[in-house]
Amino acid sequence: MKRVALCLVSFVLANGLCQASAAALDVAAERHRPYMIEGIGSALAGARDLRERVAAKDLAGAKKAWLSARAGWERSEVFTTGFVPELDALIDAWPNADSGFHAIEAKLFGAGTTDVESDADELVKHLDELHGKLRGMTLTPQGLLDGTARLAYEVGESKADGGESRISGTSLDDMRNNVAGIDFAYRTIFAEALEAADSKLDQSVRGRIEQLKKIVAAPDLPHVDVRALRQASEELVVALQAASVKMGLHRPTLEAQSR
Amino acid sequence: MSLHRFCLAGATFGLLIAAMQGRVMAFPVEGDQTALPVNTELNEDALDRPREVFRSELTGRKSYLVNLGNLAFSSPSILGGVARQANMSCGTCHVNGAGNPKFFMPKMSTRPGNFDTTGPLFNPRADNGLLDPVRIPSLRGVRYLAPYGADGRMASLHDFVRNVIVNEFAGPEPSPEIVDAIVSYLQDIDFLPNPSLGPGGRLAGKISESERRGEALFAKPFPHDPNKSCAGCHVPSGAFVDHKQHDVGSGGLFKTPTLRNADFNAPYFHDGRFDTYGQVVAHFDSVFALGLTAQDRKDLVAYLTAVGDGTLPYEHDGAGASLKEINDFATVLNTAIPASDKDVVALAVDTIGGELRELTEQYPDRKNTSVSGGEQERSSARAALKEVVLLLRRIDIAVGEGRTADAATDFRNYRYLMAAAVPSLLAGAEPWSLFNPVVHDQHYGALRQVMQSKHLSQ
Repeated sequence: MKRVALCLVSFVLANGLCQASAAALDVAAERHRPYMIEGIGSALAGARDLRERVAAKDLAGAKKAWLSARAGWERSEVFTTGFVPELDALIDAWPNADSGFHAIEAKLFGAGTTDVESDADELVKHLDELHGKLRGMTLTPQGLLDGTARLAYEVGESKADGGESRISGTSLDDMRNNVAGIDFAYRTIFAEALEAADSKLDQSVRGRIEQLKKIVAAPDLPHVDVRALRQASEELVVALQAASVKMGLHRPTLEAQSR
Repeated sequence: MSLHRFCLAGATFGLLIAAMQGRVMAFPVEGDQTALPVNTELNEDALDRPREVFRSELTGRKSYLVNLGNLAFSSPSILGGVARQANMSCGTCHVNGAGNPKFFMPKMSTRPGNFDTTGPLFNPRADNGLLDPVRIPSLRGVRYLAPYGADGRMASLHDFVRNVIVNEFAGPEPSPEIVDAIVSYLQDIDFLPNPSLGPGGRLAGKISESERRGEALFAKPFPHDPNKSCAGCHVPSGAFVDHKQHDVGSGGLFKTPTLRNADFNAPYFHDGRFDTYGQVVAHFDSVFALGLTAQDRKDLVAYLTAVGDGTLPYEHDGAGASLKEINDFATVLNTAIPASDKDVVALAVDTIGGELRELTEQYPDRKNTSVSGGEQERSSARAALKEVVLLLRRIDIAVGEGRTADAATDFRNYRYLMAAAVPSLLAGAEPWSLFNPVVHDQHYGALRQVMQSKHLSQ
């Protein structure tokens, strides 16, 4: 009987802890919203600038604007894949997309033409729609953890073929912005809860993120230590999987909509 | 021509056509940000891969050492510098222990199928200042083919393997166990069986008249030097080699290459200068003044084709073939985890994880515009493969921290998933994967179209 009582007490305590943790995480997830708005806002501003540069037939300016828009987008990938999958697919489709970043990249950086007016219009439209949704979107800690883990895994993928943005040669910038997004998401949403639950694991996650930052600080893509990158990426996801339990969340999914 | 030979010829022609289509669709390394020269062709997107036959599998199972050697042979991490960065392994050139006739690397190759092992890219210290590529040889039956190197400079396969790793590809000094393992693996790769070859390397079975005449010509002494004949160097009873170097008018002394399975080993000669047996025969006719008639040449080509044949030379590169290889690799963990062998566990996790990540990319994600349909199936396949990659990483972490029991538990879970769930999910997604030739061509066609936009502007 005493054992049952102890179990019940443990259950109540654990449940209470989970609820407290869940409530704290909900609040913490809200702290991520300004970062999302800023990131997509930056992408939108870049896309609008791109549209203007294209109208002026300014190829160099258009490329610069594309890079700026791209940076904002890549910082935001923690949430785009999971929370707005349809817009994500329209904005970031590849390899021969009709519209979106990579369609424009092929024409600007590949063919060297500014003949992307309709593509730029589409990009602005989609980013504007996304930007408009951000203030009212429900942000769940689980969804943000899923996105963080997915992106951490993706960062470790082979870039031996030049990576996702191979035409513009900016795949390494994509990776740096991805890692910045992961870093920010972890620090703003999860770090506090995990530190309280398991400070050693929190240190482990932080350590892996720092490792990733160092690795992608290489001067160019051919000098990124791909094996260390993959190891750090996978160790980070393993740590985040362990963290999910400690924070009362589900184990993160590794593909959008595969839960 | 027998029905069997006719069928083989038809199949070979079909494969040739497929290979040609593959060349059209192939997607070489591109972009300015790769570790390899732009326009490098690794032929990694090939839909068919050479079939690999192991001696030990004829009577039982491959040993730990053979599997470890195969694993190391497929691992970029045993190489150094650019090769490692570019995710290249021994298996990049010697695909499934055979060659890679489409491999081409600017500055390191003069034609598809050859490679300069003393060039500037992979180990500047090994650079001899000359562009002198050698043909990428098949390693089938290599245990019969000493000495090693196109010029036969090394008697020991062990020394040759070490030299390739350390000197040609700037890898760290490998442990003796790893070199032994690679040698064991190589020595386990058999020639493909050839039903047309009987005892002593004589043609057997239903042989055409042309092949018979070719066999006789092959053994006939050269008119101006009766001590020589084709068979004098390509000894039929000895895997069609004599283990010696000869000057056959190609610019120096080079070892006698085997003719077994040579139908699939083009290009020919030490530098891969010839594409066909016809060119090879014409060269010998000219250099040794053999005085061959047109019919003689045809007969010799027919004979070489019969000798160089092999059953089922290629297999479709589907998920099943990939998983079989991966499962063979993973068997080393049965030994390495209980032994807390951190180095072998790390090598296995790195190599198998890399293979699994490559396999994941065969199932395009939802943002890939060149594939439609099967979104949920592709997503499930990708998620399953990512889960097993992470299970392997957990094993690596656990062994590194001395938690062998945890590693063993994770390995049991890994094997459980790889036995049923993963193959089932991959099979479910196969119609929308790059293993489907239609999807494959759409995907690589789209990539090529995008990359061509860059070339057009330059």
